[in-house]
Amino acid sequence: MSLLSLFQWCEQSGIGNAIRRSSWLFPVIEAIHLLGLGVIGGAVLLVDLRLLGLGLKRQSAAQLTRDAQPWIVGSLILMILTGGLLFLSEATKCYYHDAFWFKMTCLFLAIVFTFTIQRKVTMAEETRMSPGWGKVVAVVSVLLWSGVGIGGRWIGFS
Amino acid sequence: MDPETSKSGKNKFQMKHALIGLFCLLTLVLCYLVTSPTEAASRLQASNEAARQVHLISSNSASEKWTRLGELGRHAPLGSMLLQDANPVAQPPGSVLGFFQRMGDSSWSTGLHESRYAYDLIESVHVWALCLFFGLAVLFDFRLLGWTMRSVPVSEVARRLLPWTVVGFVIMVISGTLLFSAIPLRSYQNIFFRAKMIMLLLAGLNVWIFHSGIYKRVDTWDLAERAPKAARVAGALSLVLWVCIVLSGRMIAYNWFDCDRQPQPAIINFLTSCVPTQAER
Repeated sequence: MSLLSLFQWCEQSGIGNAIRRSSWLFPVIEAIHLLGLGVIGGAVLLVDLRLLGLGLKRQSAAQLTRDAQPWIVGSLILMILTGGLLFLSEATKCYYHDAFWFKMTCLFLAIVFTFTIQRKVTMAEETRMSPGWGKVVAVVSVLLWSGVGIGGRWIGFS
Repeated sequence: MDPETSKSGKNKFQMKHALIGLFCLLTLVLCYLVTSPTEAASRLQASNEAARQVHLISSNSASEKWTRLGELGRHAPLGSMLLQDANPVAQPPGSVLGFFQRMGDSSWSTGLHESRYAYDLIESVHVWALCLFFGLAVLFDFRLLGWTMRSVPVSEVARRLLPWTVVGFVIMVISGTLLFSAIPLRSYQNIFFRAKMIMLLLAGLNVWIFHSGIYKRVDTWDLAERAPKAARVAGALSLVLWVCIVLSGRMIAYNWFDCDRQPQPAIINFLTSCVPTQAER
């Protein structure tokens, strides 16, 4: 089965059809998706601003990562669930939309980066790591997550 | 002066510079937007004109509407004609509706509305700044409610994060105003837009009450196991209000209650100050 036919099958699925037929389901799911974006954006920025030396400074990046973690994971789950529903309702459009593939690439990289490299750097900071690395990591993280958000917004523009 | 205060003084200084830089950048973007989309609009106008001709010929079912628009198009610039689609009735001069209608007719507004990328870009900035503003404001609310960063003093979270929410808010207001100016009349009459503005006022009032009240005595509860009730109420109110503001902001894009979708219940027409024409009633 090709990827396109898989996407078409998604669009024809019961959930996809139900969301497409309703005039208010898509907007409501989308609005919840947007709330999740706000929370994950804030939690990611909390850690990244600390790494850049612009946010909370007296706390270690490791501690702030631990504080932000549940909110990042929680809103990520919320966003993947609501995003999945939105995807089911317009999968074929997504297949042909560059912004969708851009977003998925950024999302994959952002998740991997946040939970491997960034985590390692923030947790190692207590044992003195050069602050330059922290800044590089923060900039990459902000760029990747921004790519996810802005890519997502551009799926809506056709 | 002890090193700690001199350090925070330096941070304030850097913050000020960052803010000034941001304003300069926004001004440049604004200047670009004023000059460039007009050019794009003239190009688009030509292609839209062609598209309209096709519509005039082909869509028989909607022919009345398109002919009416075609009539309008002879007198008004094409851009304003498309915007008036939602509300083709000329508003009396001097009224608020007339003011926004004329705003929508301006070359600034039509240029922004019809440009290929400007509107989408501004909307992306608006969404991006949502993370900065809403995300960090909500984290502060979470801290007041004791849901995160419990070991960090409230005053420190406020001092280090709230300046960023101010930056985010400034970007939100500027990009939001630009978005409004692209579609002024429809936005003004949009029920979700009106709800959003009222809730924004309430949220601002909540911030003012918090900062002039319980937060003045923050040193007495900075690291308390549970913040005082007034602070928790302020945090919860702020959380609910901002969530509703984001939700209604997203809903502005949908036209369920727009003036051109008559008949609507009388209460909706009252809330959106719509006066349906005889034919629509």
